[in-house]
Amino acid sequence: MKLSSIFILTVIVLSNTSCYKMRKSTGGAQIKTVQARQVSVADIALPKGYKIEPVSTGLTFPSAVTFDESGNLYVIETGYSYGEVFKSPKLLRLDRGGNTTTMATGTNNGPWTGVTFYQGNFYIAEGGALEGGRILRISMDGKITPLISNLPTIGDHHTNGPVIKEGYIYFGLGTATNSGIVGIDNAHYGWLLRQNKFHDIPCADITLTGKNFNTGNILTTEENDVVSTGAFSPFGTTTVSGQVIKGTCPCSGSILRIPVSGGNPEVVAWGFRNPYGLALSPAGKLFVTENAYDDRGSRPVWGAGDVLWEIKDGLWYGWPDYSAGKSIINDEEFHAPGKGKLEPLLAKYPNTPPKPTAIFAVHSSSNGFDFSKTSKFGYEGEAFVAQFGDMAPDVGKVMSPVGFKIVRVNVSNGVIQDFAVNRGYKNGPASQKKNGGLERPLSVKFDPAGTSLYVVDYGTIILKNHLQIPMEQTGMIWKITKDGL
Amino acid sequence: MTIYINRVTAIFICILLFEACALRRSEPLKGSFVPATSEIAKGQALYNLHCDKCHPDGEGGLGPDINWNPAPSFIKKMQVRHGLGVMPSFKENEISKEDLKAIGKYMKAYKHQKRE
Ligand code: HEC
Repeated sequence: MKLSSIFILTVIVLSNTSCYKMRKSTGGAQIKTVQARQVSVADIALPKGYKIEPVSTGLTFPSAVTFDESGNLYVIETGYSYGEVFKSPKLLRLDRGGNTTTMATGTNNGPWTGVTFYQGNFYIAEGGALEGGRILRISMDGKITPLISNLPTIGDHHTNGPVIKEGYIYFGLGTATNSGIVGIDNAHYGWLLRQNKFHDIPCADITLTGKNFNTGNILTTEENDVVSTGAFSPFGTTTVSGQVIKGTCPCSGSILRIPVSGGNPEVVAWGFRNPYGLALSPAGKLFVTENAYDDRGSRPVWGAGDVLWEIKDGLWYGWPDYSAGKSIINDEEFHAPGKGKLEPLLAKYPNTPPKPTAIFAVHSSSNGFDFSKTSKFGYEGEAFVAQFGDMAPDVGKVMSPVGFKIVRVNVSNGVIQDFAVNRGYKNGPASQKKNGGLERPLSVKFDPAGTSLYVVDYGTIILKNHLQIPMEQTGMIWKITKDGL
Repeated sequence: MTIYINRVTAIFICILLFEACALRRSEPLKGSFVPATSEIAKGQALYNLHCDKCHPDGEGGLGPDINWNPAPSFIKKMQVRHGLGVMPSFKENEISKEDLKAIGKYMKAYKHQKRE
């Protein structure tokens, strides 16, 4: 290439990079009109040698699948969706002929975020939007027994999981807030107007720096009423430097465990924002996906990728002052463009946070995952992760839709590669591309033989005036197998 | 608006000059990418650690798509070292000279290597 053309290209490239603030966000939920859900496997690309097919359609907010010991397939519907949409959570059996049988119906306390089958019973994580999180045991005849209740997850994030290992049920509790401070963004989620004293709770004693944040007072109708709010405190309550907040269990942003028969919870690890997906590797190690900070609220954090962590007992993983093992304090990588640098909320750290296994795309909402356990499916030992997709611009601005696909992670070197994506010039959900591909994959699960990967696709969500509008009966299950199997 | 036009022009020129600069180059769409050298493999892991969260698979996300970007690699390295616009800068204590070279090698290979 001639020198002059290098020069011209360089000028062009540089000239289109200085306009970030002027650019509009173009997220996957930023669409005006929604088509009826279509299904077309030709719209989805997979690596050579794999195929995808629909298994069940017309579900309302499905979140996870599991199998009983005879290999029957079950799905849960959350019963709650952001946007304050309350339905009944359900456990459904998907019969081979296409019929659906309701096994159990929960109360108005969704979202049911995860399910696992163990020794004749189902174990379900009930999010707890209205009454606090619970872990439920459901027998084959549909009897629901709570094993633990009142988990502190009535905020932004809920109770997630569960996974069963060596006689214990492991589950995740998400934080109340984005980054430690209750603010106006939490009223947009709905809960602050219902529960105005709720806030984050640490698992061990912490010492605060005493940083407070001013906002309008959304709890009064008075104009110009300003309140100041500190970390791990209710809306409108300030903190001072050196203040100690007592740790307790159950606590926010944690992985806890209880015996399979029920009993007191123990802290396994903490310092996560929203530990959503839990899964055991082929070697039996516990891994977790964490939904990272958003660019929203009183203490917005930019540039924070979702994380895959291997769980080491007893450690603190960095929330609210670290992202993926890196300090967010005073770092241009993490402060939102045009907003101030981040200051610490904690005066001391329980430990140096560990290094992540992999860092996913910012706002990809990397959620439920499972490990390939056999060479018959391929990519043995890799983690397959469902990416729900962005909620821009409410979580922050994006230049292209992020997520809306299945990726695979080599857990030994952190390399993430696409596995199932919608075709087209750009990435995005089917509703935006107006085709019949993937919408919002929320979790994946291998069948007991390990040869089929089931994908739970939550369905269509659009965003209007800060409100999420999820579409009922647009959820579905897909199945991915190798050709010839 | 002018900036938007520049971008379109750039992509147009890019398409004219390089057969390999599609926006999306991930495995399901273009075939599997196997690093040809250990340096490229190292660069791939480092790209995933430092860059992929904002430019997933070189596509757009929090940051712009960079797969199509025809700028010579010294310009890209300069962008990483000094940041530009809101792109964060990475100093030598975060990404060593050697590591940045490996990232550059990986990005080039990811763009141009023939796929199966
Ligand atoms: C925290 C997010 C973030 C990270 C991490 C990041 N970038 Fe960027 N990058 C951006 C943004 C945002 C822009 C656009 C800057 C602007 O227009 O102001 C950008 C721009 C660029 C550009 C110029 C693109 C163009 O259109 O001209 C290149 C090349 C680039 N980044 C490469 C990299 C590499 C290589 C790494 C890893 C070493 C990296 N980036 C890490 C956010 C990021």
